[in-house]
Amino acid sequence: MLEINNLHVEVENKEILSGIDLKIKAGEMHAIMGLNGSGKSTLSNAITGRDNYNVTKGDIIYKNESILEMEPNERALAGIFMSFQYPTVIPGVNNTYFLRAAVNAKKKYMGEKEYDAASFLKFVKSKLKEVEMDTKYLKRAVNEGFSGGEKKRNEMLQLLCLEPEFAIMDETDSGLDIDALKIISKGINKYKNSSRSFLVITHYQRLLKYIEPDIVHVLIDGKIVKSGGKDLALELEEKGYSWLES
Amino acid sequence: MNVNDYQNEFDKILSRKYFPERLINSRKKAFSKFLDIGIPSRKWEDWRHTDLSFLNKNDFRISETNDLSKNIDIAKYKIKNTYTLIIINGHYVEDISDAPKELKVLSNLEYLEQNNWEQKKKKDTPFDLLNTSLCDSGMSFIIGPDTHIDKPVHILFICSGDENLIINPQINIDINRSSSATIIEQYASEVSSFFQNNCVFASIKENASLNHLRIFSNANKTINISSSYIDQSDDSNYQYFQFVDSGALQRSDIYNTLKGINSTCSLSGITLLDDNKHSATYITTDHIMPNCTSFQNFKSVLNNKSSGVFNGRTIVREDSQKTNSKQSNKNLLLSDKATMNSNPQLEIYADDVKCAHGSTTGALDKEALFYMQSRGIDRESASSLLIRGFVNELMEEIDNKDLRDHLFTKFNNWLIKNKK
Repeated sequence: MLEINNLHVEVENKEILSGIDLKIKAGEMHAIMGLNGSGKSTLSNAITGRDNYNVTKGDIIYKNESILEMEPNERALAGIFMSFQYPTVIPGVNNTYFLRAAVNAKKKYMGEKEYDAASFLKFVKSKLKEVEMDTKYLKRAVNEGFSGGEKKRNEMLQLLCLEPEFAIMDETDSGLDIDALKIISKGINKYKNSSRSFLVITHYQRLLKYIEPDIVHVLIDGKIVKSGGKDLALELEEKGYSWLES
Repeated sequence: MNVNDYQNEFDKILSRKYFPERLINSRKKAFSKFLDIGIPSRKWEDWRHTDLSFLNKNDFRISETNDLSKNIDIAKYKIKNTYTLIIINGHYVEDISDAPKELKVLSNLEYLEQNNWEQKKKKDTPFDLLNTSLCDSGMSFIIGPDTHIDKPVHILFICSGDENLIINPQINIDINRSSSATIIEQYASEVSSFFQNNCVFASIKENASLNHLRIFSNANKTINISSSYIDQSDDSNYQYFQFVDSGALQRSDIYNTLKGINSTCSLSGITLLDDNKHSATYITTDHIMPNCTSFQNFKSVLNNKSSGVFNGRTIVREDSQKTNSKQSNKNLLLSDKATMNSNPQLEIYADDVKCAHGSTTGALDKEALFYMQSRGIDRESASSLLIRGFVNELMEEIDNKDLRDHLFTKFNNWLIKNKK
């Protein structure tokens, strides 16, 4: 589904990623672990197409096509989603209105009938239940006045509404209490199926107790230094990262 | 327009024989003072950011009876569920207006006569003086005590006829004790260019409430300069909302004086600018008495080479203890060439008060744009959502749904024209 070949990424003329190779098949869940500053977030930003993340070498192939020239919204419509580490607050923009604009953009892209206000409300309320969110969050501005956990649940809500095939969960567990963590993990596990893939980015092993990755990669200084099964995460928890540094 | 041009117009006014002698004297005084001080230049502190060359380059003349056209399609300006009062070229057109019976409509001469010919005090800025000198029109609206007007009163100022008219109406609004009303002033034009220079006086008596909405929606080459003088008595409430979406040059000077204890005023506005347009809002809120509350909350969205000014001044005088005052000005620049000058000022002479002010000016939030794009929303739609979000906060404060819808339609039209 997603293939990253020899990816080099610069931010403000500084190379952050130095040759990443990664292959994620449909239905797989991969985890990338690494310390702060190892390049984890740069990888997710490069995949989703954020400005100022310049790919200087290599390629990102999604569903057999290079996405490097695509706008962030085109990548999203093609089925790529990122749950933000720090979801953006958008004052004045109503959460429901925003969600409907996003879902309808996708509907339009798929050639399906767009939701009107009433039918969308019904749709979104059914999704709200899955992330155990109160309807009051629909009336607020996007992420405004949301606690850390509420923001992450709102990200999960967006995921459930947009139904991406490839989702990056960027540090989804950081700042979450254990209850919220369980809700989100449950959501991910329920959502995952043989045609949907996940890339989970974390520097804690905690999240991986609730969602089981097929493959764990260790990122150090912009390079994947080791890949392995879920036991690798446990090993990292025990021994730390230093034994992998060259 | 040069000095001779203004003199010509003034002579024309003097030749109109229907004014009483005492008015002619005050006119002459005002005009001679106007000639002394002249049209402001950018060297004047209060006019530093406003370029009046458009006014100086064009000639304007006062309107004549034959400029008045009645073949105007009023329907397109109407707002649902309002009383509509039509003023064309400064003159009230009674037969196409529907004033509510609780609203007393007087000509300014009748109003002056009722008030012992006592003229209202102005600040005597050049444009105030010009208004006094050339005023041939205007109306007075009076609401008696203990009266509530059930629907908003929409006063529609339309300019028609010649391209180059200068119109100088004076409007008096008196809201007497324990009364309340919503009054909408809307400026529109059937011609592509004109110069409106008006003075508005509102007097809000004890326990009365005025909800005042002002819409500057003129053709692209119009100049609209207005001074407003708002006096508030004890326990009164004044809500002002200004909406600007067109006109070449628009300037509002608002002097709001809280003369009574326990009175409240809330002034807010949205300015949408594009091309080379300029809009300036100068406010002075003067707290004279204790226990009063004042808010100023203005937002601008500026595109292309447009420019704006917000100058909000709140004076809290010695006796006005327990004042609660807040000023906020936020501006969104959609182009590198747009400029905004924001200057909220507090002058505090009392010691037991709560006052705050703040100002921000910036471009669309890149993080928010990326966030929306990452959800499949294209950049143009994401920008529109952000701009809408920016103005929403103030638009939502308009309680009356018909008025809010009316302004949202205008906002949407502006947004379509200014897609990013």
